[in-house]
Amino acid sequence: MFETMLAMVEFGVLFAQGGIDALTPLQAITENGMAALAVGLAALGAGYAERGIGSAAIGAIAEDESLFGTGLIMTVLPETLVILALVVVFLVG
Amino acid sequence: MSVKETEGSSNYEYVTARVKKRRAKLFDDEDYRKLLRMGPGEIARYMEETEYETEINALGSRYSGVDLIEYSLNRNLAKHFEDLLRWADGRLYTLIARYLRKFDAWNIKTVIRGIYSGADGETIAEDFIYAGEFDRQFLDRLAEAESIEEAVELLDRTRYGDALAAAYADYEDTGVLIPLENAVDRTYYEGLIAGVAETDNRANQLYADFLRAEIDFRNARNVLRIARSGADIDPEEYFIEGGDLFTASDLAQLSENVDELVTFVRDSTYGDDLSDALDELERADSLIGFEHALDVALLEYSDRLSHVFPLSICPVLSYILAKEREVENIRAVARGREAGLSQEEIEEELVVL
Repeated sequence: MFETMLAMVEFGVLFAQGGIDALTPLQAITENGMAALAVGLAALGAGYAERGIGSAAIGAIAEDESLFGTGLIMTVLPETLVILALVVVFLVG
Repeated sequence: MSVKETEGSSNYEYVTARVKKRRAKLFDDEDYRKLLRMGPGEIARYMEETEYETEINALGSRYSGVDLIEYSLNRNLAKHFEDLLRWADGRLYTLIARYLRKFDAWNIKTVIRGIYSGADGETIAEDFIYAGEFDRQFLDRLAEAESIEEAVELLDRTRYGDALAAAYADYEDTGVLIPLENAVDRTYYEGLIAGVAETDNRANQLYADFLRAEIDFRNARNVLRIARSGADIDPEEYFIEGGDLFTASDLAQLSENVDELVTFVRDSTYGDDLSDALDELERADSLIGFEHALDVALLEYSDRLSHVFPLSICPVLSYILAKEREVENIRAVARGREAGLSQEEIEEELVVL
C-alpha cells in the first residue's frame, strides 16, 4: 500500500513542478517516471509474496533450525520480480 | 467466560507451517509396530527418545509404568495444544479455541465423576488435561469442590453454568450422572458450530461441514450404543443439535432397530465414506470396528481438507485430531500390554490411517 501511495505523491509533485503545460495531454508522466512506477509496483508484489512465505518459513525454522537455509532462499525468491523489473529502467532510461 | 477475539488478522502461514512439521513427527506404523512388542516400562523408555522426552523425565520420579505413560501423554497433549493457541491470532485463534473447549468439557466431566466416585481433589487434578479455556487455578479450585453441587455452583459463571444448573435437578432426582455429562457435551457442541456456519469463506464452510459430520457421527455412535446396551434410555435425551443427518425424533425411532439405522446411514451423504464401516458392522456385528471406522473416516476427511485448503483452519484441525489419536493409541497399547492382551487384540484397538 505504502509504495502505491508514494507513487501517487510522486505523480502529484510532477504536475505541480512542471505544470500541465510541460506535458502533452497524452503524456501525464514521463518515461522515467513510468519505469520507476513499474519497479515500485513489482516491489509491492514481491513484498506481498514474501509476507506469506516469510511467516511460513519462520514457522518452519522455529520447529527445525536446520531449515534456515531453505527458508531463507524460499523467502527471497519473489525478489527476482524486482530485479526483472529493474531491467525496465535500463531499457527506458 | 467466552473466547476472546485477538487483534489482527489470522496468521495461517505461520501456524500451518509449524503444525505440518509437528504432524509429520507423530508416530507412524513403524513406531506402533515396535510399541506393540514392548511392555509398559519399555514403552516409557521408547517415548523418552521421542517427542515425549521432557514429560517422561519430569514425571519419571513420581510415577512409573502405565501411569507414567498416561500422565506424560496428557501433559504433552496439553503442551502442544497450548502452543497452538499461543501462535494463532485473530479468527484462527477463535476457531482453535472453540474446538479445544473439548478439554474443558473433559475436565468438567472428570471433576463430576471424581466427586461422584469419592476421589480426593489431588487425584482428580492428576487427570486434568490443561488444554482448554479454563485456567489452572480455576480447575484446581474445581477439583477441591466438596460436592457436585459445589462444583456446579463454581461453574455457574462459565458457559456451562445454565445447562449444568438445569441438569443438576435431574441428577438429584435420578442419582445418575448422565444428565450432567449430557449437558456439558451439548453446550460444547452448540458453542462449536455457532458462528462458523454463516461465513462465505469456502474453507470455513467445509470446516463447518466437518463439524456437522462429527456431530452426526457422535449421534450415530450414541444411538448404536443405546441400541446395543438394550437399556431403557430415551435416545432423544442424548441428541446433540447441529448435525444435519438426524433429527431427535429420527434418532428415537432408529434406536430400536440397528438394521434400519444402518440403512439410514447408508442412504445418507456419508454412505460412500462409511460403506466399509457399515459392512463391517453388519458382518462382524462389532461396535468397536464401527466406531474406529468412524474415526478413520473423520481423520481422512480432515487430512484431505488440509491438503486442499492449506491456508485455513483445516490443517490445524487435522493435526489436533491426529495428535489426539496418537495419544489414544499409545494409551491403548500401554494399557493393553499391562492387561496382558495379545498383539492382535491390541492392534484392533488402534486407529491408524
